[in-house]
Amino acid sequence: MLRIALPTGRILKDAERFLAAAGLPPAENLSQTRKLMVPSQCGRVEYLLVKPVDSPLYVEQGVAELGVSGKDVLMELAPDILEPLDLGFARCRMVVAGRPEIRRSLDNTLSPVRVATKYPRVARLHFEKSGVPSVILKLSGSVEIGAVLGLSHYIVDIVETGTTLRENGLVVHEEVAQCSARLVVNRAAFYSHLSEIGAILDAFKSALEKAHA
Amino acid sequence: MPQARTTNARDLAFVPGTELVFGPQAARRRQVSDTIARVSRGWGFTDIILPSFDDRRTFEGGDAHDADLYRFMDREGRWLTLRADFTLIAAKALAVELRREPRTIRASYEGRVFRFQPSGHGARVEQSQRGLEWVNAPGTTFDAATLCIAGECLSALGLHDAVLVVGHAAFIGAALGEKGRGDRALLEALDHKNPARIHELAKRRGLDATRTELLARLPGLCGGPEVIALARTIAPEPEAAAALDELEALARTLRESVASLNVLYDLGEVRQFSYYSGMMFKVYHHGVGEELGGGGRYDRLFDRYGLDVPAIGFGFDLARLTEALPRTEVHGAASVASATAGQGAQGLKSLLEARGRGEQAILAGGA
Repeated sequence: MLRIALPTGRILKDAERFLAAAGLPPAENLSQTRKLMVPSQCGRVEYLLVKPVDSPLYVEQGVAELGVSGKDVLMELAPDILEPLDLGFARCRMVVAGRPEIRRSLDNTLSPVRVATKYPRVARLHFEKSGVPSVILKLSGSVEIGAVLGLSHYIVDIVETGTTLRENGLVVHEEVAQCSARLVVNRAAFYSHLSEIGAILDAFKSALEKAHA
Repeated sequence: MPQARTTNARDLAFVPGTELVFGPQAARRRQVSDTIARVSRGWGFTDIILPSFDDRRTFEGGDAHDADLYRFMDREGRWLTLRADFTLIAAKALAVELRREPRTIRASYEGRVFRFQPSGHGARVEQSQRGLEWVNAPGTTFDAATLCIAGECLSALGLHDAVLVVGHAAFIGAALGEKGRGDRALLEALDHKNPARIHELAKRRGLDATRTELLARLPGLCGGPEVIALARTIAPEPEAAAALDELEALARTLRESVASLNVLYDLGEVRQFSYYSGMMFKVYHHGVGEELGGGGRYDRLFDRYGLDVPAIGFGFDLARLTEALPRTEVHGAASVASATAGQGAQGLKSLLEARGRGEQAILAGGA
């Protein structure tokens, strides 16, 4: 039986709906169960409920053959796995945000900019690519406060509607990437279970087509 | 027994990602390496022992980024680099041999390569490999034989359901076209079989619709020999067609030689090593998430030493192969003789006699 790692948290409800549309509904309501492993109704696959940040690791290490993961997590962890499908849900943007006037105030300074983020790798690579020296401050949550209270000049974070930014007086200065939920596959499993994984990919693709029809 | 002196725990920590293997795991690793060595010898390969470090230029063109090489300066001010790739340093060593006498060389190696990887996620900065280099080995029969040797190693280890995933460097090159070749981001998107990212990058790079479509279809071109025919329909350019001819000839040779190999063709397979020029492959087993090894043809690698020499080779990752093995006991010697240090010369004499009979001798402390 193939295992699919699913991230708990904000993606889970959408993932559950998507799995039902793809003909692989879980045997139990994933958002309510306390179990960590739940089979699909058809018994073809088993779902592992894991922390969003761990989902790619379970797949990379081959504990789960497949997984669902947010692009933001994939960008941060850069796991060595296949990413064959954009599942289209949990859309958001990875952005550089800060107080509206911050960019102007930094225009003539050569000192590194301070960046607070939950995504230190993404932030480091983004500022390196832009040729801007930066000091990255890793936070675990509520990163907006970093920019509001002057801990950092910028934050790098994901934004869905922008409400939290607005309510804290912050604006988007740059977009780093568009993010959404992705289907990820372990490399060895892809080749060892080519036809079974191919069938799941086909089922997911037709669910996506139906959703867009 | 000696008492451990009080020490700072940090003094006992090693650099993350370095290799430390001892006891039964080391014995299993030794068995794996010996098995591959035996198969290599069976095909006429002889050992080559290569330097552990060399000039940085030796390792250019491998898959290790410049920043991932371990460099150091010796006391004469020369910058040196720890071995990051076997094929590159073997090519340099064998070029010296070939200048003396052009001939077919079969060389097999074992040792470690060193490449920086960020900590976390099981990163390994030091990897033990065993593999072989077949120099002056042109054409399909050598391609097929190389796959057969790799397959025999896997069978000899009991990994009968390992898969050899075969692709072609020139096909990927043709599919990428002039604009896409050498584009690391695009290669990475292909490597991750990520059509969404391929579309995004193709748009950003201004690739035309036909090429974008071709690249986006590459991740799906994986399966039996029938995918080679399918690839012809979407990549008709002469360079791609020539690569597909080679793969078809390879599939035919494997079939006609009745090679019992578990081969899949993946025309979207990418290896970051820029030295590959023809057939290339990776080895996977369901027991381990990552590749167990791989190799391929590199007919232009010796150009840098002024030689026109077709060559092919592969390497196995010994740690991952060991991990893939079924958990069987490693048996020690059949007969064991033991003595204690307290028995002095008499004890030692009995052990020497045991060794003379070919038995295992164990000298223990105590009376």
